[in-house]
Amino acid sequence: MKMAQRMTTQKSNDEILYDHQQDGVDRRGFLKCMAWAGTGALCVMQGGVLHSFALSDPAVATRAAKGDLSFIQISDSHMGFNKPANPDVAATLKAAIDKINALPTSPEFMLHTGDITHLSKPEQFDTVDQVLKSARPQNVFFVPGEHDVLDDNGKLYRDRYAKNSKGDGWYSFDMKGVHFVGLVNVMNLKAGGLGSLGAEQLEWLEKDVKHLSKSTPVVVFAHIPLWAVYPEWGWGTEDSGQALSYLKRFGSVTVLNGHIHQTMQKVEGNVTFHTATSTAFPQPKPGQAPSPGPMKVPAEQLRSLLGVTDVNYTRKRHSLAVTDSTLE
Amino acid sequence: MRKNSCISIVATFLLLAAITLVKTPAMFAASSEAGSTPVEITIDNFSFTPPTVTVEAGTPITWTNRDDIPHTVVSSEFVFKSKSLDTDDKFSVTLTKPGTYTYFCSLHPKMTAQVIVR
Repeated sequence: MKMAQRMTTQKSNDEILYDHQQDGVDRRGFLKCMAWAGTGALCVMQGGVLHSFALSDPAVATRAAKGDLSFIQISDSHMGFNKPANPDVAATLKAAIDKINALPTSPEFMLHTGDITHLSKPEQFDTVDQVLKSARPQNVFFVPGEHDVLDDNGKLYRDRYAKNSKGDGWYSFDMKGVHFVGLVNVMNLKAGGLGSLGAEQLEWLEKDVKHLSKSTPVVVFAHIPLWAVYPEWGWGTEDSGQALSYLKRFGSVTVLNGHIHQTMQKVEGNVTFHTATSTAFPQPKPGQAPSPGPMKVPAEQLRSLLGVTDVNYTRKRHSLAVTDSTLE
Repeated sequence: MRKNSCISIVATFLLLAAITLVKTPAMFAASSEAGSTPVEITIDNFSFTPPTVTVEAGTPITWTNRDDIPHTVVSSEFVFKSKSLDTDDKFSVTLTKPGTYTYFCSLHPKMTAQVIVR
């Protein structure tokens, strides 16, 4: 892809792990690159440095092979939704899995950042499980969206996906030196409010990361964004500040969220925030529509607004490279 | 003449009853409007319409979801709480205690509205 090749590729310096105070982020380049994402270019942020590759670029395969840990984030499959914005969400979820299966090196596992189903119905969870059976990465870690905990405070969700979790379904695990934390911010939402973690979960989080060395890369995943993307639409978490304060001392923190059905990324100090597209339907950009509901687009454009996220961790670089790609 | 007065008393009773029934249909109608004609609230485009509704105590209130996404109806003090409502689902409640009941959608908590019960 000519444009991708013209892009300046800076060599990353392993000694400078991230120097966010000086802001080594090439923001203009990043924004330019993101505009191409719909046509198949990948923009990779690695330690604050931008690399871009065409999807077919063999460098992607090499990078994936060199990485120490590679996983996928999928989100907002909304199984059971069947309105005009996407009458067949099972097909687009399957297309996402096919895309993942086509990667040269299979990611080790997947994170699903919630709204697995549309109405928390058992048959909808069943259908998702069916589709995921065909994924090469068979290990999937979930966090619930507000659509997964309707009517039963999340009991069905927890019985299926969070047996060893605490409280409303939070948990953590380690994989190849990276610490993963799954948080639940979709319970007990208050009138006029945003997402919420709650005191019990925050206390648990503080203890959970307390004894980790600050060079441990941390990945936090939760459904609603942990930063104020657009509070007017409830796109934020009211007590995320406290959660982030427990992670302040870590050199590399990556926050993966869903809920808004579009890709957004923000770097703040040592924290990279990233939201994923949905595999079901797109939603409007903040403020670009009267409400944040399913956005109807011409059928031929739908798959270019849905997608998956590939995350690669290379031990030497101490940071995670997050790459979004669309279904088409 | 006892019999006659008996009959006349009963007749008067019946007459009075008839007059009451006939004379004040407006009153009955009014009280039936306040007491039993349901009030409708529509949920669409992430909002409750009308956002403020004033009802007489004992009036049934029905919400209908016309949006293409599910919503719930939850009172802030949990006086009433619906299951999740998909498109075209309904939820009804009858409130007997006067007061202001703010409510919201627990899926989209920015959606708020209120019912005032007189």
